[in-house]
Amino acid sequence: MDIISENTNFLLAFIIGIGFGFVLEQSGFSSSRKLAGIFYGYDTVVLKVFFTAAITAMLGLLFFSLFGWVDLNLVYVNPTYLYSAIAGGVIMGVGFIMGGYCPGTSFCGASIGKIDALVFIGGLFIGVMIFGAGYSLWDQLYMAKFLGSPKVSETLGMSDGFFALLLILAALGMFWVAELAEKKFPSEEY
Amino acid sequence: MKPLVRLALFIVPLGLIIAAVPQNKTKPYKLTANQLLAEVNTRTQYIAPETVADMMLKKDPTLQLIDVRSQDEFEKFNLTGSINIPITDLLSDKYADVLDQDTKMNIFYSHGTIQANEAWMITRQLGYKNNYVLEGGLNYWFEAILNPQKPASTSSDEEFAKYDFRKSAGQALGGGAVAAQPMISAPVSGPVPPIQGAPKKKKAAGGC
Amino acid sequence: MKEKTPKKYINPYLGGVLLGLVLLAANFISGRGLGASGAIKSCVVTAVTTISPSATESSDFLKEYGKAHAGSPMKNWLVFEMLGVIVGGFLSGAWAGRLNFKVEHSPKITSRKRLIMALSGGILFGFGSQLGRGCTSGSALSGMAVLSLGGFITMMAIFGTAFGLAYFFRKNWI
Repeated sequence: MDIISENTNFLLAFIIGIGFGFVLEQSGFSSSRKLAGIFYGYDTVVLKVFFTAAITAMLGLLFFSLFGWVDLNLVYVNPTYLYSAIAGGVIMGVGFIMGGYCPGTSFCGASIGKIDALVFIGGLFIGVMIFGAGYSLWDQLYMAKFLGSPKVSETLGMSDGFFALLLILAALGMFWVAELAEKKFPSEEY
Repeated sequence: MKPLVRLALFIVPLGLIIAAVPQNKTKPYKLTANQLLAEVNTRTQYIAPETVADMMLKKDPTLQLIDVRSQDEFEKFNLTGSINIPITDLLSDKYADVLDQDTKMNIFYSHGTIQANEAWMITRQLGYKNNYVLEGGLNYWFEAILNPQKPASTSSDEEFAKYDFRKSAGQALGGGAVAAQPMISAPVSGPVPPIQGAPKKKKAAGGC
Repeated sequence: MKEKTPKKYINPYLGGVLLGLVLLAANFISGRGLGASGAIKSCVVTAVTTISPSATESSDFLKEYGKAHAGSPMKNWLVFEMLGVIVGGFLSGAWAGRLNFKVEHSPKITSRKRLIMALSGGILFGFGSQLGRGCTSGSALSGMAVLSLGGFITMMAIFGTAFGLAYFFRKNWI
């Protein structure tokens, strides 16, 4: 958007970041034990926050587009490089179950003093450096199977709105199962 | 009431609405009325027929003539190398890539200039670049290029040069036997405006 | 001295809605979603270039990023956003009384084990986020909000893998 200057954009990024960090911490994402809970059933906060947030933003954008407040063509849609998306995701999955954090939440945890979060961030730097240093070894994989920036709704052959509805129903189903699972564990505050 | 139930009661109706309502596919106008008026007043959209003829003779690959008349009229006569986008179909999705691009120079033409200008105004307002109007349209093209009037003997050298060019161009383009040479010396044709590269969709970079 | 009990975390659904609104604001204002791993990349490029410019030259990955962000790789939307995250997290922790230095770990393992796991997890995650072009915030969350196929695929890969391996790491958490 060239309606606002670059510096204003950075200032707004900072403010949005404050909102991001605040909400994450308020929801408990500064605790690695809470984050890992989804994989064992004792704490499903990740599932609930994640999907509710995605759905809220998705509905928001679709409705804004309906009212003409936003041109969806100008909004960034992440590109799809099929093989690296899967491979990267798998490696991140291992990192997640081991480390209990992801980059965003680790900053959040570090900001309230969690030392394991700080160590995780250190690990992130090392991981990125390894990727950069050995780039020639995996650049083929990194650039393979570029599919453009398709939307899931396009790939499945349905409208954006219909997909949103399906996602909402699926998410509500998952939330219900999650609540049943959580009841089996004693409620502890981490 | 359980939070989950409250949440469901809120988002399910929203989901139903967004699924049911057809997507907003309107193309918004990007230029303000003032901006468009400024362009209209300086007549930046016009391209002289000599310029077009020159490009055709040089086989300039960036040239793309677009006939905005109906299909019937296009089939009866059209300028070599032109494509037909009837003005009634101007906003159809199939032509979006032709009209909104940054590699070629699209030149609208019709009998006169009315329809070509209509096409130009709409596409210009949508923010598309590199679209122009053939000055005088086909009517003037016939008169100037295919049947040029010899200038009076008191006219300037430039007028004569122009006439010579038009004559040979007309013969070459009208299917005559004389092979015309593109004008290299005298600046008969106006300067060809540069192709404006525009990022097709001004997306902010995003990602990780 | 009176021990202050920290405030409770907010209801996850409320948290989700609020987070969604932040994400919506980011998209509306800056035309892009949230992210995190990109900021790490900016820092790495800056650090490596400062310490050893030839190292940046020898890596196409770092070099391209440096070129695309000539001037300063740190002047980047994500870097400013992550600075905000730190401030926001801190404010929230301060307000809720959750500020203290500690190594958070399950009672079944030692702090040392936890830190080793955190470091290893971080290295893997750092590597994976570059390969996958995003982490859970940038690719999965923001990607899902705009219905990106790549975003969904990455998200499923992350969570699927973590679920699949959860059994083997259970001693660390439960």
